[in-house]
Amino acid sequence: MPLIVTDYSWTQTDSTVFISVPLKGARAERVDFLSTEEYLKVHYPPYLFEAFLSEPVDEDRSTAKVGNGVAVITLPKCSNAFWEHLVITTYDKEKKKEVRERALLKYQERLCSESRSKAEKQQAEKKYALETMMKFEKEERDRIVKRKEDEREKTTAELAAWQLSQREAAETEARRKLQDQRDRQDKPKAPTGKQEKGCSEGAKVKLDGRGNSEAKSQKAPAPLPAPRRTAHIQVRFTPRVFPTALRESRVPEEEEWLQKQAEGRRAGNADVEELKDLREEERNPEWLKDKGDQCFASGDFLGAVNAYNLAIRLHSKIPALHSNRAACHLKLKNLHKAIEDASQALDLLTPAVPANAAARARASVRRGSAFCQLQLYAEGLQDYQAALKLDPHNAALQADTQTIRDILQGSATGTH
Amino acid sequence: MSSPLDKPQIISHFQKSLNYTVFDSKWIPCSAKFVCLGNYARGTGVMQIYEVQQGEAQLIKEQEFPKPIKCGTFGATSLQQRHLATGDFGGNLNIWNLEVSGTPVFSVKAHKEIINSIDGVGGLGIGDGAPEIVTGSRDGTVKVWDTRQKDSPVANMEPGEGETKRDCWTVALGHAFNDQDRCVCAGYDNGDIKLFDLRNMSLRWETNIKNGVCCVEFDRKDINMNKLVATSLEGKFHVFDMRTQHPTKGFSSVSEKAHKSTIWQVKHLPQNRDIFMTTGGAGNLNLWKYEYPSQRSKTDSDDLAVGVAGSVTLLQNATVSTQPIASLDWSPDKKGLCVCSGFDQTVRVLIVTKLSQV
Repeated sequence: MPLIVTDYSWTQTDSTVFISVPLKGARAERVDFLSTEEYLKVHYPPYLFEAFLSEPVDEDRSTAKVGNGVAVITLPKCSNAFWEHLVITTYDKEKKKEVRERALLKYQERLCSESRSKAEKQQAEKKYALETMMKFEKEERDRIVKRKEDEREKTTAELAAWQLSQREAAETEARRKLQDQRDRQDKPKAPTGKQEKGCSEGAKVKLDGRGNSEAKSQKAPAPLPAPRRTAHIQVRFTPRVFPTALRESRVPEEEEWLQKQAEGRRAGNADVEELKDLREEERNPEWLKDKGDQCFASGDFLGAVNAYNLAIRLHSKIPALHSNRAACHLKLKNLHKAIEDASQALDLLTPAVPANAAARARASVRRGSAFCQLQLYAEGLQDYQAALKLDPHNAALQADTQTIRDILQGSATGTH
Repeated sequence: MSSPLDKPQIISHFQKSLNYTVFDSKWIPCSAKFVCLGNYARGTGVMQIYEVQQGEAQLIKEQEFPKPIKCGTFGATSLQQRHLATGDFGGNLNIWNLEVSGTPVFSVKAHKEIINSIDGVGGLGIGDGAPEIVTGSRDGTVKVWDTRQKDSPVANMEPGEGETKRDCWTVALGHAFNDQDRCVCAGYDNGDIKLFDLRNMSLRWETNIKNGVCCVEFDRKDINMNKLVATSLEGKFHVFDMRTQHPTKGFSSVSEKAHKSTIWQVKHLPQNRDIFMTTGGAGNLNLWKYEYPSQRSKTDSDDLAVGVAGSVTLLQNATVSTQPIASLDWSPDKKGLCVCSGFDQTVRVLIVTKLSQV
């Protein structure tokens, strides 16, 4: 329950009322004022001073000053009348409550509207600041653009002027030439006949500034050196496996790919212990195949067979290895082995596509000749015919097929 | 505020949108005209000649060809004739008289595959000696042609029989300071740069810059070779100092990474050999200046001279497109005027200002 303050004092002039309320030791920050046009409340706990003003006052201009233990409240009057009393005492409780509530409401509204107007003002200021900044930046940009435009126009003008000067130069050249020609025509001289022709062609010069070098057509052009003697320079490129261009950022990926390829080509089989003493190259079936081919070419058939054996052990799915080993066996007269190998090669060479036609033809020929050497001419003929179907234009093949046919006929008739 | 505007500015004078893919654009010497080479969508080649008039390009002439044209040069023609030498997708080298349509002045089936790059020297009053044209092709060969000798090239740099071929992407001529000396520099897609001496008909130097070489250019064709700029994939370019060759280390170089993508072209300013412009795969242009070191060569531990490379500073950059700028050509007559064309089917004429004050 607040303590009502009653020992206040008040004075008035024609236009203002001054109320002095003792603060009874309360500190300035703790004093709370609420004033509307008919109600005034000063609250400093635990004390409370309230006044129901007898006449309305101008609440916007009401002020309060706190100091020296008193609060002096200045209330400008709405109408300059002399106040008999400061407060209305005749209000009953209900009325008082009403007035209080009204006052509170009004006060709150006032505060609200104040804050709103403050916010609006702030926003307006911010907008203004932004607009001003934008204006400045735009001016800056325009300035730069204008400078560039000026440069451009200047250059265009220079270009146009230069073009004009070129044209004029060409015209004067043409006129001069015409003049020269006319002069020369007046005094005919035989050796200048050729030059005249050159000049008249030049007189048709188009006005695009080619003229200035025509002036030098009078003196003979310096003789050009003869064309160089043709030569070839052989070039060797830094080796690169990929057909694409070299990019540094792609190099790690490429290295990885190459490594994986190399690993894939290596031994997948289990005889790792035996192969440990082999060198890196000797594990590569392709290298071994090359070795085998070299041996075959040089006549070392056993060496070739060895190479192919190892290669097949490492990677048994390469038909070329079997086919070549068949050829070696043929030379070594191991006919059964030759047939085996050739058959395996043919098996591996399925599906039958044009790409492996040559390989299949070769394998068939080898098996065919093995059969013939074993005197199994019927099978041999079959193989030769298959080879001929794959490679119809091979004359040697046709001749061999014919020979076998003859032998077959001969043996057939022989047995009858 | 003033210092950024004191640098050379790259200003777009105008741009022209074309209805074909343009591969190359070159100024016609001693005129305000340029020629654009490319191919139509229907697979035929096209050459258009434009004249710069009052801030825009007027089409003067257009001609269509059976095969698309990849590159062209005026380097080997005289100032009076101004014939254009072109290389096309079928490997044909043709020299055209631009005034006359129809048959070319010179024609030869130079290569089996597309001619990627062409260069000429000895014409336009630059350099002494016979005019020669060099072409580099996807078939891995670089051939030097003299128009007086039609059936066979004057020099042929090719890989040996059965050896693998790499695409030659770019060629450049230089070191033509008298009528016998010439050097051809070729860049390949596997990063090889090879320098051939045509006087001795031998390989003078080779190196590998670890990225496919997109463009090489000497700073001047008609002097003792001074500098060579080679640009490559992955946004790198190298500037080689060509005055001092070490027997094993070759030429020394400085390299820069710029553009964040392939550097398609490099072209030196005709009026100042230390300024060059590089064009990038993202449609940007960088203007560079090379500064020489205090001493261009020093002796190494074996008492042999080895070159010292200088430094390169970026003067200005500009982004004019979103697609690669495949070709750039400085006007030999007006300093700072250049024409560039990109794969966005647009040809642009740009002005670079304040180059005299650099």
